[in-house]
Amino acid sequence: MGVFDPLKGFGVTFSTMFKKVVTEQYPEDYRPTAARYHGRHQLNRHPDGLEKCVGCELCAWACPADAIFVEGGDNTEDARFSPGERYGADYQINYLRCIGCGLCIEACPTRSLTMTNFYELADDDRQRLIFTKEDLLAPLLPGMEQPPHAMRLGENEQDYYVNGPELARKAGEVAQ
Amino acid sequence: MTVAPEKSAELVVPEGHVKLTIDGLEVVAPKGELLIRTAERLGIVIPRFCDHPLLDPAGACRQCLVEVEMGGRPMPKPQASCTMTVAEGMVVKTQHTSPVADKAQQGVMELLLINHPLDCPICDKGGECPLQNQALAHGRADSRFHETKRTFPKPIPISTQVLLDRERCVLCQRCTRFSSQIAGDPFIELLERGAQQQIGIAQEKPFQSYFSGNTIQICPVGALTSAAYRFRSRPFDLVSTPSVCEHCSSGCAERTDWRRGKVMRKLAGEDPEVNEEWICDKGRFAFRYATAADRLLRPMVRDADSGQLRESSWTEALRVAAEGLAKARDEAGGVGVLAGGRLTVEDAYAYGKFARVALRTNDVDFRARPHSAEELEFLAASVVGTSPESGGVTFRQLESAPAVLCVAFEPEEEAPIVFLRLRKAARKGRTKVFHLGQWTSPAVDKTFGTLLPCVPGGEPAAIEGLFFNSGTAEAFEALSGSGSVILVGERAAEVPGLFSSVLRLAERTGAKAAWIPRRAGERGALDAGVLPNLLPGGRQVTDGTARAEVEQAWGLAAGALSAEPGRDTDAILGAAAAGELGGLLVGGVDPYDLADPELALRAIERAGFVVSLELRPSAVTERADVVLPIAPSTEKSGSYLNWEGRRREFGTTLDGTGALPDCRVLDTLAVEMDADLFTQTPAAARANLERLGATASTRRAEPPAVPAPPAPGAGEDGVLLATWHQLIDNGSLQDEEPNLAGTARTPVARLSAATAEQFGVVAGEQVTVATERGSVTLTAEPADLPDGVVWLPLNSGVSRLRRELGAGHGATVSLRPQARGGNS
Amino acid sequence: MGLEEKLPNGILLASVEKLVNWTRKSSLWPATFGLACCAIEMMTTGAPRYDLARFGMEVFRASPRQADLMIVAGRVTNKMAPVLRQIYDQMPEPRWVLAMGVCASSGGMFNNYAVVQGVDHVVPVDMYLPGCPPRPEMLIDAILKIHQKIMDEPLGPKRAALLAESGHRTELLPSSVRYAKAGKLDKFQGPRDPRTAASPLVVGPAAAHQAKQIEAGE
Repeated sequence: MGVFDPLKGFGVTFSTMFKKVVTEQYPEDYRPTAARYHGRHQLNRHPDGLEKCVGCELCAWACPADAIFVEGGDNTEDARFSPGERYGADYQINYLRCIGCGLCIEACPTRSLTMTNFYELADDDRQRLIFTKEDLLAPLLPGMEQPPHAMRLGENEQDYYVNGPELARKAGEVAQ
Repeated sequence: MTVAPEKSAELVVPEGHVKLTIDGLEVVAPKGELLIRTAERLGIVIPRFCDHPLLDPAGACRQCLVEVEMGGRPMPKPQASCTMTVAEGMVVKTQHTSPVADKAQQGVMELLLINHPLDCPICDKGGECPLQNQALAHGRADSRFHETKRTFPKPIPISTQVLLDRERCVLCQRCTRFSSQIAGDPFIELLERGAQQQIGIAQEKPFQSYFSGNTIQICPVGALTSAAYRFRSRPFDLVSTPSVCEHCSSGCAERTDWRRGKVMRKLAGEDPEVNEEWICDKGRFAFRYATAADRLLRPMVRDADSGQLRESSWTEALRVAAEGLAKARDEAGGVGVLAGGRLTVEDAYAYGKFARVALRTNDVDFRARPHSAEELEFLAASVVGTSPESGGVTFRQLESAPAVLCVAFEPEEEAPIVFLRLRKAARKGRTKVFHLGQWTSPAVDKTFGTLLPCVPGGEPAAIEGLFFNSGTAEAFEALSGSGSVILVGERAAEVPGLFSSVLRLAERTGAKAAWIPRRAGERGALDAGVLPNLLPGGRQVTDGTARAEVEQAWGLAAGALSAEPGRDTDAILGAAAAGELGGLLVGGVDPYDLADPELALRAIERAGFVVSLELRPSAVTERADVVLPIAPSTEKSGSYLNWEGRRREFGTTLDGTGALPDCRVLDTLAVEMDADLFTQTPAAARANLERLGATASTRRAEPPAVPAPPAPGAGEDGVLLATWHQLIDNGSLQDEEPNLAGTARTPVARLSAATAEQFGVVAGEQVTVATERGSVTLTAEPADLPDGVVWLPLNSGVSRLRRELGAGHGATVSLRPQARGGNS
Repeated sequence: MGLEEKLPNGILLASVEKLVNWTRKSSLWPATFGLACCAIEMMTTGAPRYDLARFGMEVFRASPRQADLMIVAGRVTNKMAPVLRQIYDQMPEPRWVLAMGVCASSGGMFNNYAVVQGVDHVVPVDMYLPGCPPRPEMLIDAILKIHQKIMDEPLGPKRAALLAESGHRTELLPSSVRYAKAGKLDKFQGPRDPRTAASPLVVGPAAAHQAKQIEAGE
């Protein structure tokens, strides 16, 4: 026990005044999350705008919190939403149940469902926190067209799955 | 012969059995048993696709290969255990002990998967697919097949209800075997050879079967899928509840799959005593009527000012109903109760008790169809109270009967599972099936049956003829065999003298007679006493002992129950139309099912006060003063009695929807009228009914003894109408099912060539059948009917005979070819 | 408060309302109510890195009588529910409730007999915050959204009736958008909530930026 020990504590406080401030200035200063942060979901699209979701319900199966509801639908020649026979007619994620574990992402066979980094989801209405397909679908990028429409990038779903990226690049070149 | 290692007690081999060894375990099996079943009994599961216990062995998929050793010599190649029967001294090694069998099975699996598409995520079978499971358990992790897979256009609609995806097919032939062996319908066959072998359909013949849904269920892959259920949900997201079919009197076991408060599909349940593993398409696909948009969910009361029905609270509706009924009972001549034929036993009991206790009347009848006093006597004398336990006719007895006679009963259309049993019995060559009907319907052909033709209304005369006629001596002789059965359908009520004749025939031949109604609730309502002459448990209204028992059990004063039999449906309606009845309490009754729909509608309009308990709007609710919504069968528990008298109990599938069963509604209504039914829940109603127990009275009702009338003739200008319901028709329980409706048989008018010629009708052209009420126009088709008879379906498509013609089986109608511009 | 109920609607009271709401939202004191894992994130939020003191709410009150915001952080069991209600009842009005995390909001993955399926069965909830657990930024976002709601609170029943009649609903923008400094908005990484991204209610420098974005067709 030295004479100055009681003052040591003040020393720590005093020296901190000259250190760099660690406080993050959220919300004025928004800092990106880690790239793989499990935020809000997104339903992706094929390069021509058709939905990647086939309504297989594997995400709903994988969900430990039973937060996802999917009902498939039958693509017809008149109304095509995704390549192949089946599309997700009804898609709902209940963010009041979702724990952001990402098992749904792993379960998705078409990489339709991915997660974004968006997290500012708080709301005062339970109903609004059940996101439907309209809320979850990715925005239409240039070159995309709002479904329903015919398959633009190939004859059948095989073309989309096997040659998708390549076809997309070609489609992009044509568009430009 | 291998010796079991150090076994002190040798297995005793009974007569007709053999001893063999499977995976080192000694087992005794009956001769002729298939290896795969013997192994199964031991708990050794051999993977399989084509094998099905109710179908003949095919050995098509080769997935069940095992190594077999006979007499110490191994067979050169692995054998299919689903086609090989057991033999003395056989040594079998399955995949568990034999690397050879295991390798063979893995090889077969790899071959099956060569052309199988990888579309499990979008396949309806995914999650409950035997191929998927076995590929996971026994298959390779990756494919060695890198070439392009065989592809077909898909899906192909085989019928409006069944979709075929040939890419997924593993050619197990379960579907083709089902349709040729069990259902007997020409369906799909194997086409082509080798790698191009595929399931196909005949171009000109659309697949039309009442049992097509079963092929979907037994398909071990997703090759056959249901159009109605297509992409609707996933097995892992479904809750399966055992249930009982509410459509016909067979009382099939079903499995109802639902999620989030909505029934998604129904599958056949397994009950070897009743439906084995099959159900008809109506039972499988017709369930969306309960979720129709117009379903009644709130009580409605007719507004005094506007005269319109308006939604109200339960409290108000029950109060208004109770006041109105009490007033009608006390001041306006009484209230009649029409219960309808689709009630559970518990609900039916509540109707009967409500009529007797709250309305103090015997004017109660469940028969919402043509009926007769003779039928009433027949039911009271020889049907009520019969059950498998008390020696009644059962499905199993049909199978072992030397002969079965169907009288006024079209098994395929009215009770499809009875038809399947008859076909099974006949196919094995043991049972001779005779049909007393008008023409060689598909059911006659498919049961390998003999038609005993008669004109409509001439059935009693035809039965009397059996005793003497040399042409039908074979039938009479067969029926005299021990264990023979006579099946009578609901149509018999339209033919005077038929029930009496049937009973006489049963007495003469020693055959047992059984009554097979068409609706699921009729048999239960009979035993619950919803008839003017019967109290619960077959007690007769006129029997003082029986009455006293009921009075005591119900806590009524002695003499509270009337000793007078009440009015039947027609008499109730007649009295209401004449203004003699002050009110009506109507359950699920469609006036257009009754013999005289116009009278029924007039009666309901004329009756001072009408309370309707309904699921959906109908002609009755339109005219009712108070409408009380009730629960469909999925939203309540209860039980049906099937035609055997077997109790078919089921639990609530969808809980907490707020819909109330009839018995609960009636109980509360009775409380409003100061009477207690003690039927708050189906369980309470059941307990209350069981407390009544068997009757102490030994008095049986007298069987009807109406002399057989001579076969009728139609006179000069008319023809006799023969008709019955088709399985899939305009019934309101089949609403909202377009896919199912597409599999209905096309309504046509059938008549003999001579009759057609007489009236100038050309086959394939339109013909008009008319009465003074109206007419129905259909395409004419020749058939082997007796001359002077025309057959039309009762309620299919435009052929709505009761509504349009006001006529039924045995009526006289006029016939004329439809004049077509320029052609005729 | 008495007087405002008798006075007619006017500019003076509108300004008073704003002032009152501003004082309320500027010193919102949370009650300590950590129930499970979410409480760890709540503590982090109070600690220097996120520093709730920036919003005038550094003191988590141990006594509910001194608190006006209840952050229900974690799953509420049926056994805890009456306690929760009692604490809520002990808080002086005006008070607000924030259901933090999916368990408090709806029971989350604990759909069983033991857990209350959402604290709104027990107390009225003003803000639901999804996440399992929500990161501190999400909690701050939810608190800031409560601030927005407090700022819109009516003073007295007349104003309340007026607001209810107009169907007013506080626009809940993501805080990073609402409070973004000009120029910093570009740093926003994730896609915006499509339901509020194009909202015209964005104020301040963010509005101009968003207008540009909308023009650009994003």
